[in-house]
Amino acid sequence: MKSQRQRRIAHALIVVWTGAVLVFLYMPMLSVVLASFTKQRYFRFPVKAWDTRWYEKAFESLSVRDLFWTSFSVALLVTLISVVLAFFGALAFARYDWKGRKLYQRLILLPIFFPQAVLGLALLLWFSSLGITTSWQTAVFAHMIWILPIVTLIMSIQVYSFDPVWEEAAYDLGASRLQVLREITLPILAPGIISGAIFAFLLSWGNFPLSLFTTGADQTIPEWLYAKMVSGYTPMVPTLGSLTMGGAAGFLLVAFVVMIVIRRVKQGKSNQLR
Amino acid sequence: MNEGQLDFLELRGITKRFGDFTALADVNLSISEGEFFTLVGPSGSGKTTLIRILVGMDSPTGGEISLNGNVINDVPANRRPTCMVFQNLALFPHKTVGQNVEFAMKIAGVAPATRRERANELLELLRLPADFYSKRINQCSGGERQRIALARALAFDPEILFFDEPLSALDYRLRKTLEKELKDIHRETGKTFVYITHSLEEAMVMSDRIGILNHGHLIQIGSPDDIYNRPCNKFVAQFMGEVNTLEVVRAAEGRVRHVDSDASFEIISDVNDFESGFLIIRPEVMKIGRAAAELPNQIQGVLFNDYALGSRVQYQVRSEDGESHWLVERLQDDPFAASPGQSVTIGWRPEDSILVTS
Repeated sequence: MKSQRQRRIAHALIVVWTGAVLVFLYMPMLSVVLASFTKQRYFRFPVKAWDTRWYEKAFESLSVRDLFWTSFSVALLVTLISVVLAFFGALAFARYDWKGRKLYQRLILLPIFFPQAVLGLALLLWFSSLGITTSWQTAVFAHMIWILPIVTLIMSIQVYSFDPVWEEAAYDLGASRLQVLREITLPILAPGIISGAIFAFLLSWGNFPLSLFTTGADQTIPEWLYAKMVSGYTPMVPTLGSLTMGGAAGFLLVAFVVMIVIRRVKQGKSNQLR
Repeated sequence: MNEGQLDFLELRGITKRFGDFTALADVNLSISEGEFFTLVGPSGSGKTTLIRILVGMDSPTGGEISLNGNVINDVPANRRPTCMVFQNLALFPHKTVGQNVEFAMKIAGVAPATRRERANELLELLRLPADFYSKRINQCSGGERQRIALARALAFDPEILFFDEPLSALDYRLRKTLEKELKDIHRETGKTFVYITHSLEEAMVMSDRIGILNHGHLIQIGSPDDIYNRPCNKFVAQFMGEVNTLEVVRAAEGRVRHVDSDASFEIISDVNDFESGFLIIRPEVMKIGRAAAELPNQIQGVLFNDYALGSRVQYQVRSEDGESHWLVERLQDDPFAASPGQSVTIGWRPEDSILVTS
């Protein structure tokens, strides 16, 4: 039997350990944010003089705006296309039993394990041998190869818990195929679809190795960060880095709020007739 | 019961083949309006295939289904005026109880207020408290879900309501309660119910008529009384539960000889044209001890064991050579006292045995 004191000590140790892990995980990101607010050219801790001029510059700069739009367009297109494809891919993965399904399940997941740099290089070689000029559009394609399997996998988990008899029941109660999709299939699979979309966007938004090889003359934010780290570092680098993180966090927050609003609206609908 | 149209739902020569396998062979059946009809068969008998064809989820390889005089073979499930209570109920997990019940009406474009009113009526009919309306499905118990599924199907206002063994997953006592409730709902709504189950006992409780399905063939159709007292063959007779089955040959007018023991027994049967067959004697018509002493059909045996079945006691009696086993039941209040190992006399009246020829 554990004594009260032992339990208290164990509890304290758990708190300390959790805290240490969190610090270890988030300290580097925090230091990037701190570096973006320093007046000195190079980051030193503790920060003695604060400054926000690099943020002003970032918001005024046209090239930053270009970087943002390139990253955003790539991420948005990757999200839209991969959500649609992965939806059907997940149905094939987890719902229907067909000849060759086992092979498909293995093949579709394989790209996740490719080293991304090698995949990027391979695609670059492939594009140039086909005579395709690389640009942000080719990067969309490249991102998809790596992201689509992940989104498919995420959605498949939801599809596994979907019982097709729900669709049959709705159909039997008079619903058309389209109504079944709208009333039953999509709402039940919605959590999987939304988390798939969030993953797709964030993985594309932050991707560096695939973009490096396949964007051609266009540049995404992670690429620019890398280029500036190699030569020509200014506090603009941590500033843009912080803004990217902020963008990702903002995206997650919006997704979270949307989920809550949807839930509220649903509950409201069932309550309003009370 | 049978006041409605006699051939409300008619099946003519329904056949279903999957490759070489024949799941249903030439099924002919007519069900009248307002009837509670149950299809009974062991697993693999084709009953699920048949009900899927009837609701429109599957199409027959051959034959014709007509409802109210119109052939409905090619009408898809969502256009048929019928609906089904599924085996696992298939309640929509993302909708509340009320939304589940209202689903068919929502699809049909009924106004929300009307839907709501009708849903509450149905919840009341099924003895569910009104506050269930806004409950989630996962907050409801097994029995409550049964009622919700039935309410959802009734809200569709189907001409025929099909049931695919919805009670099979419940425990015995709840099942017994719901069987009766279902029969009461049938009485109250006057709808045509077509039910499938593997339990003849369940079918007996609820049905106006029963059809027995085996290996894709509909082998007997009749009232519960017909099925119980006049089974058409050994399969049907044994389907109800434990029975004593004797392989017999014809010995003389009104007498048969037991193949195993050479004993001969008196029978009263309409079947005269037979050479061999089976004599079925249900345990509850067998008598034991003094009650058997005066009977024309008697067997001497040794009491092997007894089992308390609640209102009755069942005995297993073995013949002296140990070759054959007999099951005998008596009511609790019949006086009888014997302990295992004792010799006993068992017997039955000739009119209580059933002769089947196959």
